[in-house]
Amino acid sequence: MAAVQTDQVTLTINGQSVTVPKGTLILDAAKKIGIDIPIFCSHPKMAPVAVCRMCLVEVEKLPKLQPACAVYVADGMVVKTTTEQVGKYQKDVLGFLLINHPLDCPICDKGGECPLQDQTYQYGPGASRFDFPKAHFDKSVPLSDKILLDRERCILCWRCTRFSEEISGERELALIQRGTNTIIGTFNDEPAQSNYQGNWTEICPVGALTSRQYRFISRPWDLDRTASICPACSMGCNIQIDARSNRIGRFQSRENVAVDDSWLCDRGRFSFPNFQRQGQERPRVRRNGSLEEVSYEEAIAFTADALKHAGGQVAGWASPADTNEELFLFSRLFREVLKSAHLDHRSGVVADAEPDDIALPIADIERCDQVVVLGGQGVIDAAPVLHLRLFKSERKGVKILKVGVTEGKRALDAIPAEAQAIGILATEADKQAAVDLQAKLAKKVKGSVRRLIVTTGPNGRGAKDLGILPHQGPGYASLNGRAGRGRLQWPGAGVKGLYVHESSPLHGFVPSDAESMWLSTLPLVVFHRFKASPLDEVAHVILPGHAFTEKYGTVTNMEGRVQRIRRGIDAEWVREDWRVLQQVANALGASWAYESVEEITGDLVRELPPYAAVNQEARVLWSEST
Amino acid sequence: MPLAKSTADHIKDLAQRYPSKQSAIIPALWAVQHEQGYVTPEAMAEIAEHLGLPASLIEATASFYSMFLTKPEGRHEVVICVNAPCMLRGADEMTAYLGRALGVRDGGTTADGAITWHSTIECLGACGGAPMMQVDHQFEENLTEERIDAIIERLRQPVAVAAPAPAAASERPKRKAPAPRRTRSES
Repeated sequence: MAAVQTDQVTLTINGQSVTVPKGTLILDAAKKIGIDIPIFCSHPKMAPVAVCRMCLVEVEKLPKLQPACAVYVADGMVVKTTTEQVGKYQKDVLGFLLINHPLDCPICDKGGECPLQDQTYQYGPGASRFDFPKAHFDKSVPLSDKILLDRERCILCWRCTRFSEEISGERELALIQRGTNTIIGTFNDEPAQSNYQGNWTEICPVGALTSRQYRFISRPWDLDRTASICPACSMGCNIQIDARSNRIGRFQSRENVAVDDSWLCDRGRFSFPNFQRQGQERPRVRRNGSLEEVSYEEAIAFTADALKHAGGQVAGWASPADTNEELFLFSRLFREVLKSAHLDHRSGVVADAEPDDIALPIADIERCDQVVVLGGQGVIDAAPVLHLRLFKSERKGVKILKVGVTEGKRALDAIPAEAQAIGILATEADKQAAVDLQAKLAKKVKGSVRRLIVTTGPNGRGAKDLGILPHQGPGYASLNGRAGRGRLQWPGAGVKGLYVHESSPLHGFVPSDAESMWLSTLPLVVFHRFKASPLDEVAHVILPGHAFTEKYGTVTNMEGRVQRIRRGIDAEWVREDWRVLQQVANALGASWAYESVEEITGDLVRELPPYAAVNQEARVLWSEST
Repeated sequence: MPLAKSTADHIKDLAQRYPSKQSAIIPALWAVQHEQGYVTPEAMAEIAEHLGLPASLIEATASFYSMFLTKPEGRHEVVICVNAPCMLRGADEMTAYLGRALGVRDGGTTADGAITWHSTIECLGACGGAPMMQVDHQFEENLTEERIDAIIERLRQPVAVAAPAPAAASERPKRKAPAPRRTRSES
């Protein structure tokens, strides 16, 4: 108890006493007791710089006002944040910040969610005392194909340059020139290459850095905000779908310290145009060579009939962007109703699959002492936000070894036997190499060796867990010699029908040349999907389904964390995918009676108890033992 | 235009001299400016490569310090003080006159390429001789219109034939000889 107390300091802020750990900033101590100190440059993920001077507060016994974002608390400190002097300084600082700011809020994308606007209202002067012409810069300079920079609006808080330095480590943005001429820019005005530029717009406390995609799309107060998960990769970054009039305006980050640490990559953030819906669509059935619009009932009856004809010789491909609930029903439809084990969710050859039950959690990368990135940039490209976690870890002293897939030996030699905690990252295509390296390292070192396999798609991990695989059932159960064929073997396996279910054009069924030949000869192709694709041309039934951003359910990320996705866009004329799957199954003689997604989740958890993790958005752990 | 091998080698050597590579940026910029007269983006990229630093950092440094030139300028550089003591002694009039006499504005270079009026500047610590200006790192004090005329007349003279600089370097239009106190004596 005494030891704990020495690490704590007690101070007084505005007459209220607060006890916080040593090394806390005045700003954070104040936040803890609900006292708001205005800030611009300070950011919880970055080191203090105290350049904007907005957070000045009075500290007793110190002659001048102190920046709350850069001064650490001390025992017995007496801080005042609302005195007349502080108020005067806040007005003056805002007056200075606004000297060259164009105040073009009415045409600025940031208006309505702009810290500069909000704090000027709350703390600022009502009018400017500056009579001289404002400094002018070019408006809307493209920093890249994603981001525009308005240098007149910039208040030089350094957040974006610090992100570039401390968070992504790319150091693409810098402060060029000096004094009143200072501008933010890239080297020689070359287009920015970073894959994390969207974060610049989010942390910009003014409208200086704006997204080209979101430009003039909406006012913040007109947006419907839905908490969901990014559809781009298996990282499972938490997002907010911001939609206006039922169209997606943008994806924003939503902090989950365990997964994304509040950042998104540009591939994920700017992937939303793939999920915009083009008008309404009805189910279609191919009769005499051409597709005819029919009702859902008719299409479902047609599908069930055709599947029955194909007997057990049907194959099912579900995208790694489907929800666990859909995959659960899809698996049951094939295994229980159609008696077929030709199931897959993969696109290429992947050495699958045993449970990644000893997976390294994403956040634990920071707590390793050595991390091997097996496949180097290839792993980062598969899940770009991992780079930010790796860079953060590196800054904390974790040794990061980027080696090629075939260079496992180099990592093995480089890691000392006394290493305490080792992590191995690899894509699922290179899983075997990762497993081998893990075994060798486990023999060499004393500490723990864990791996994190980057799966494909926002729910590729869920698809494996739920047995959308030809050789393993739900929960990686053995099929006792009754394994089906995988996607690559379907042509030539006597398959008479194919059911494709896909929720995202990012992870759709893209036929290879050989498959295209095969598809054109198949007697039955059921295409249950969100967006039209070349597969439409060979489909005998097209069942419109919901997009990843239009449905409710759960998905499992690469580390096995089960997270909820929600309806960001309302496409109520489209019948829910799970309902269609149930109706197809029932038309084939099943008697499912699900009324909601929750009921399916409930059954799923009963069948696969580790999925009880869904209730805590926690990780699925098949077994904690090796 | 790539850097001369001697300059590149010098920069690589500089990279080894400091605990932080960042510390070598300013000496590296000097080396480039001494060789090429000013610092181009290509040269900044080359410095970045030799020091293993992002190029943005080199530009940030080069643009922060006014003594580094990022575009070709005249053979002589003039800055004129407008700080308070000089101002009280007529710096405003002298500044206006300098502009008229040169026929260029602050930041411009005369048509014959002889003189660049780099900028106005704040105090250079020669208030005893206010108003003053600095010509190629030399102070010119107690300015009058006549003195300014005389200085410009002198600067407009063609380049001295017997330049002490090495032959290779003298082919390029040198802005000025390297200021001795800033030149590292390399073996």
